[in-house]
Amino acid sequence: MAEPRRVPVVVPDLGTARAALSLWHARPGDRVYDGDRVAEVVIPGAVVDVAAPASGILGDWLARPGDAVAAGQVLTVVEEE
Amino acid sequence: MTGDLDTHPVSAGGRPLRAYRLGRVGFDDLLALQARLAYDVSGDPADGAVILCDHPPGVTIGREGSRAHLRRPPEEFAARGRPVRWVGRGGGALLHLPGQVACYPVVALGRLGLTPAGYVAALQGLVVDLLGDYGLTGEPDPDRPGVRINGRRVAHVGAAVRGGVTSFGLVLNANPDLEPFREVRCDDDPAPMTSLQRETTIRVRVPAVRQRLAELVAARFGFARVSPFHTHPGLAPRPSYHAVATRSR
Repeated sequence: MAEPRRVPVVVPDLGTARAALSLWHARPGDRVYDGDRVAEVVIPGAVVDVAAPASGILGDWLARPGDAVAAGQVLTVVEEE
Repeated sequence: MTGDLDTHPVSAGGRPLRAYRLGRVGFDDLLALQARLAYDVSGDPADGAVILCDHPPGVTIGREGSRAHLRRPPEEFAARGRPVRWVGRGGGALLHLPGQVACYPVVALGRLGLTPAGYVAALQGLVVDLLGDYGLTGEPDPDRPGVRINGRRVAHVGAAVRGGVTSFGLVLNANPDLEPFREVRCDDDPAPMTSLQRETTIRVRVPAVRQRLAELVAARFGFARVSPFHTHPGLAPRPSYHAVATRSR
């Protein structure tokens, strides 16, 4: 039986290096669907949602609210079923 | 970053910008309307709208703000008729008063080729362009996004990007009473606020500022023209006080 695919949830291109994780919209173990908001990052003057790239079960958080984050950084994974 | 729209305007294919000039809008109504417009734009990225309004007196605190930016407890603000509300946008604390113009574009960033930071810069650019019409030089503030005139903040930028579509945006002090701003450190800025009317010798008319902002949003984000609306079917009906009959003996 094939291993479930683990799809990383990454910080999108924000156009600035000054970014931080603002909050999580979903917890580890939650079932999420492709396009669901799972996290929010904040840059000076704006908040940006991070969407789930696939449907499945959300993995462990790899950053906490307030942590500095960078474009391309993996925040968690979605384990496809 | 692709924030330079002055040299590379992105066309919306001749589409108009729907400009909702709504007068005073409460935050619950605003959130519902923004969600509706964002739904429309997410299904048709060439579409776009802007909400131009003001809000009932109160304080909103964005994700970069904190109650520490209020010089009194929130309960005291509420008792004085200025309730405090936390909202899902960038930027910090902001006091809402009559005489401000809130300008909330709802556009698809993917069509514009803009990053979120580029969009924030574009909003600041809108204000700088508007100030230029009044003979003023605005200075975008990269640390606490907004625009200053002579070191004093005249506009606040606090936006949100959800599903690639923008909401919230900027609030400009056209001609509010500046005295109440002493009680709120807007965006954690220690310098006093200013207004367009305080800085210019030209008479500032709030409806004209709204109209000009709509034109500037359309031009900057590649819309062919502005289609004005004065209500939206998704807004809750407003009480018509003028229609309430009063009986006198």
